[in-house]
Amino acid sequence: MIEINDLTVTYKSDKEQYTAIKNVTMTIPDGGTCALIGPSGCGKSTLLKAVAGLIPSFEGNVEINGAPVNPKEQTIGFMPQNYGLLPWRTVYDNIALGMKIKKSPALLDKNTIKGVMHQLGLEGLGHRYPKELSGGQQQRVALARVFALKPDILLMDEPFSALDAITREEMQDVFLKLWRKFEVSTIFVTHYVEEALYLGQKIVILSAGSGSISNVIDNPLFGVENVRGQEKFFQMGLKLREIIKKDWEQAWES
Amino acid sequence: MGKLIKWYFLAAVFLSVVWLVISEIVSLPIIPSPFLVAENLADIFMKYIAIHSLYSLMRIGAGLLLAIVVGLPLGVLMGYFARADKVLAPLVYLTYPIPKIALLPILMLLFGVGDSSKIVMIFLIIVFQVVVAVRDGIRSIPKETYYPLYSLGASFTDIFWEVLWPASLPKFITAVRVALATAISVLFFTETFGTQYGMGYFIMDAWLRVNYLEMYSGIVVLSFIGLILFSAIDIIEKQACHWQYK
Repeated sequence: MIEINDLTVTYKSDKEQYTAIKNVTMTIPDGGTCALIGPSGCGKSTLLKAVAGLIPSFEGNVEINGAPVNPKEQTIGFMPQNYGLLPWRTVYDNIALGMKIKKSPALLDKNTIKGVMHQLGLEGLGHRYPKELSGGQQQRVALARVFALKPDILLMDEPFSALDAITREEMQDVFLKLWRKFEVSTIFVTHYVEEALYLGQKIVILSAGSGSISNVIDNPLFGVENVRGQEKFFQMGLKLREIIKKDWEQAWES
Repeated sequence: MGKLIKWYFLAAVFLSVVWLVISEIVSLPIIPSPFLVAENLADIFMKYIAIHSLYSLMRIGAGLLLAIVVGLPLGVLMGYFARADKVLAPLVYLTYPIPKIALLPILMLLFGVGDSSKIVMIFLIIVFQVVVAVRDGIRSIPKETYYPLYSLGASFTDIFWEVLWPASLPKFITAVRVALATAISVLFFTETFGTQYGMGYFIMDAWLRVNYLEMYSGIVVLSFIGLILFSAIDIIEKQACHWQYK
């Protein structure tokens, strides 16, 4: 479970103070997914980084399974934009990297890595380097890296945005399959309405400018078989777009 | 590897031909034929030159090692911690442009005319390039590379071995490669003072004795030392940074 309570993050530079997110409160239940959607610069990435324990000082609380967020105590899987793979490590070593850092001998089990690679169709690619792979394959390696850790929570920053439309949909299905298996509480940032609808149980709309939550939608279409081709998926997409548009227009006016 | 050696051999043949043509045209003792020089080199290499070349190699090796030991941590520090860069960058920028050869008299006063001043001189030439290259190499790592590691509670040691070291290695090797040519020329100059060993001494001594054959033999050996060092760096780079060659 991820609990965020009255979270405010302020960046301070020499000259100015800048509040990236303000009074954000939300809860993601065990094994739930949450899509964060909002315009550029609305603080989506900042919110994600705060939950990942990457921001040293903030106001409010971020708790994972009842304890304050702490990268040393909890296992937090973080998948940045552009995958964050190390170009100087092979696919296998990239996947094993998280376990190596957690220094858990039980985790450093070759079978676990092999198993995850098998599930993601990465067999036979273990000795390759990331730049020898296609975008979709790199994405699979990044997913393998986080899921191999069996993390307490999973955070993804615009996970599938660099892929072409067909590969993106394929990767969304790959993600859902893994997520069902591991039941990890997940927050992901996206700017695709369809992605939010397809992968998010809960959709949180961050408003432009103020860095606070403007809307939380419980997504009725999450987990419905073959929902992408159905009429209600389109309708819901349009509705969501309407809500987002209205919200942003209001934000710009004020 | 075999193909590579072929190209090196062809380059050597090409340069020898140019040399031969010039020596035929000029037809003065100051440019002897490469055949005579090769013959002379075969005669005297083991007898006289080998010991000089070992001294020169030792000085370059020691200076290089010192530059790595000092420059690498400094570069990592400046690249990774913005505050360290704030303090150290002005120091580096103020001292980097000083022509190191101008410091030779001072170095000779401080470290004596023996090996130490020569090693320190090579160190000074290489270290700045290493610092700047490693720092810039680390700075160019995208922030996203660190996030998954930080969020797992990675220590600085983890970050160093997983990210900083491999990311800066290619830049570091390039810096050494660039600096090495200057280091060899300056070494030549410093070896004309206060020593009776080293390729610089050997070449200048042969020159003063008007023994052009020996002088050219020395120059050829010096160029081979360069060749060996550069090839060694290439081999190390191919081994250590093989991910770049995929």
